[in-house]
Amino acid sequence: MEQFDLSKLKGRPAFPFETIAVAISFSPRLEALLSESKRISDKLQANLLLIHVGEKTPEKETRLDKLISKLGIDENKCRINWMDGEPVDTILKLCKLNVVDLLILGALSKEKLLKFYLGSIARKISRKAKCSVLLLTNPTEEASRIKRFMVCAEENPKTIHTVNTALYLAKKFNVGEISIVKEAHVPGLAMTMAEDSTAPEANRMRRNLAEADEQELHSVAEKCDKDGITIIEKVIKGKPGYTVSKYAREKKADLLILNSPDTQLGLFDRIFTHDMEYILADLPCNLLIVHSRPH
Amino acid sequence: MTRLTHHELIVFLLAISTMLIFSRVAGELGKKLRLPVVMGELLVGIMLGPTILGQFFPDLFTYLFPRTGNVTFAFDGLFSLSVVMLLFVAGMEVQLPLVLKQGKVAIYTSVSSMVIPFFTGFAVAWYFPSLFGQTPNTPTHLLFSLFLGTALSISALPVIARILMDMNLFKTNIGMIIIASAMVNDLFGWLLFSFILSLSLHHGETMGLGYTILYILGFGVFMLTIGKRIIDKALPWIQTKLSWPGGVLSISLGVCLACAAFTESINIHAILGAFIAGIAIGDSVQLHEKAREIIHQFVTNFFAPLFFVSIGLKVNFIQNFDIVIVSIVMVLAFIGKVTGASLGAYWGGLKKREALVVGFGMNARGAMEIILGTLALNAGLISAPVFVALIIMALVTSLSSAPLMRKFLD
Repeated sequence: MEQFDLSKLKGRPAFPFETIAVAISFSPRLEALLSESKRISDKLQANLLLIHVGEKTPEKETRLDKLISKLGIDENKCRINWMDGEPVDTILKLCKLNVVDLLILGALSKEKLLKFYLGSIARKISRKAKCSVLLLTNPTEEASRIKRFMVCAEENPKTIHTVNTALYLAKKFNVGEISIVKEAHVPGLAMTMAEDSTAPEANRMRRNLAEADEQELHSVAEKCDKDGITIIEKVIKGKPGYTVSKYAREKKADLLILNSPDTQLGLFDRIFTHDMEYILADLPCNLLIVHSRPH
Repeated sequence: MTRLTHHELIVFLLAISTMLIFSRVAGELGKKLRLPVVMGELLVGIMLGPTILGQFFPDLFTYLFPRTGNVTFAFDGLFSLSVVMLLFVAGMEVQLPLVLKQGKVAIYTSVSSMVIPFFTGFAVAWYFPSLFGQTPNTPTHLLFSLFLGTALSISALPVIARILMDMNLFKTNIGMIIIASAMVNDLFGWLLFSFILSLSLHHGETMGLGYTILYILGFGVFMLTIGKRIIDKALPWIQTKLSWPGGVLSISLGVCLACAAFTESINIHAILGAFIAGIAIGDSVQLHEKAREIIHQFVTNFFAPLFFVSIGLKVNFIQNFDIVIVSIVMVLAFIGKVTGASLGAYWGGLKKREALVVGFGMNARGAMEIILGTLALNAGLISAPVFVALIIMALVTSLSSAPLMRKFLD
């Protein structure tokens, strides 16, 4: 597989996913993760880059070769990278060097409190990656059904790219319908209305805010390249991140898709949890974080 | 046990009734003129207090608001409860994650809009103490200087939120920067003020400076991490298993009062406990919006009028009006806050005009300044003329904020 030069990285569109990397750790879930990754790369006709950060032993090599052969992964479209070093930075560096479009990681739905605050590898990568990241919470060896796509449409210029990426994936996965969800949250609204609003005024204020949210969501849907795919629009009330996570769980979404964070998230963002951190704290389903590379 | 006599109880209830009804009427009239409700409440206080009623109908004034006897204790308790409740709801709207989300520009704006007015106020009070009737190089001089700095650096989230809502700016980038920065101003302003109050009220007691800071920080960190986590776990149960909305209302207010009692017991003022409890409860994702609204309605429409009316009952605004002090406070307030917030927003990446909109938006001091001034007056930190100047400054900055913002909006 050819190595890309770094100039190709800047301004590269969020999709198509031509190069998919998979971070592997030789855990019991390795076969399931590889099976799922293989199915995804087949559907997207992408090259596969397997990354293992850790010691390269004959046992590991044999196990991986056997799995590649068992799963029918095309060796011409797959390359293995054995690396030493600190896992997060090494994986991210390799993704950058190889102009990876999508990095697939296995992740637990919920981690123990201390590990969450300290940051597991998968979560750390999700916060720092400069490419799109797919966290698979429950990869299976059998053909899985990733059918219910839900996109979190926050007010951000990146959202349009994220929705278009979701539509691209929907086409490839033969999904006819996706939901785009906007979280309506007005901090201070209760305080603003408590003092001197009559009931009709308060209702009008709420209605105006709700209509503005619906219009914003609709304008995002209008701008997207739907190409026959139905978009269901939904405005939900509540705190960003937490509300969409809860909604995705309630609606049994298979894949929740959101923008990459604008800034690198750190320990403070976990202590004073907000937005993506609520989702990472307790993954409701598989999670795709779409990274739109700026031009 | 000392109890209110039959007559005292009648007076107490009549006084509360008068304050509530008159402040509501004034608030509604003020609303027609697009004036803040708090202004109407203050005017009612001035009318019912020594300035007007006490001047022209001294017997009626003394009957309704006696200066001695058990009724004064009852009022004192009620007003203390009111200020604790006001700080609780103020805390409920402080959402620190919003600041992190807004990123660099909010952090620059909030820091600069605190630091510049603080040092402006501190420096003027420190180098020109005679302007405010202070004696140089005394402990009260230092405390007063610290207080003036803090009073000038604080913002008033409720009035700012209302202005932004009326101007249709609430959900814009500028609106969110102003809200997030005002939240940080409030948090650090009240932390600092609690520290100053603690030094002032417990002067000479055993707890040293280091312990005061340690207790304030320790309590804040505990409540905003472990305390918040416990609240997050408990709220869903409270909201579904207990009577609605009684359950969440009584537990939330109970937690607020317990925290207030705790901070008071460790010689930090009760307001800090209430404010931090408000942040921990209000920031919880589990708190239903309806519950938040009910708490706000309850406090804003019962405790707030009593508190703001009571201000006018305590001070004679005409006798204590000092044009020099009013002018100095006003100039310092405008220069410090508008310059600080605008520069912060500009350094954070906003354009000049947008930065000025942020500056004038954050200049509104409103009810928070009035509460701060009242507590400082009660603690003997400031004189009545300085208090009157702060009240006037709070009203002028609140009223001028929207028109000045409009000037710089495209």
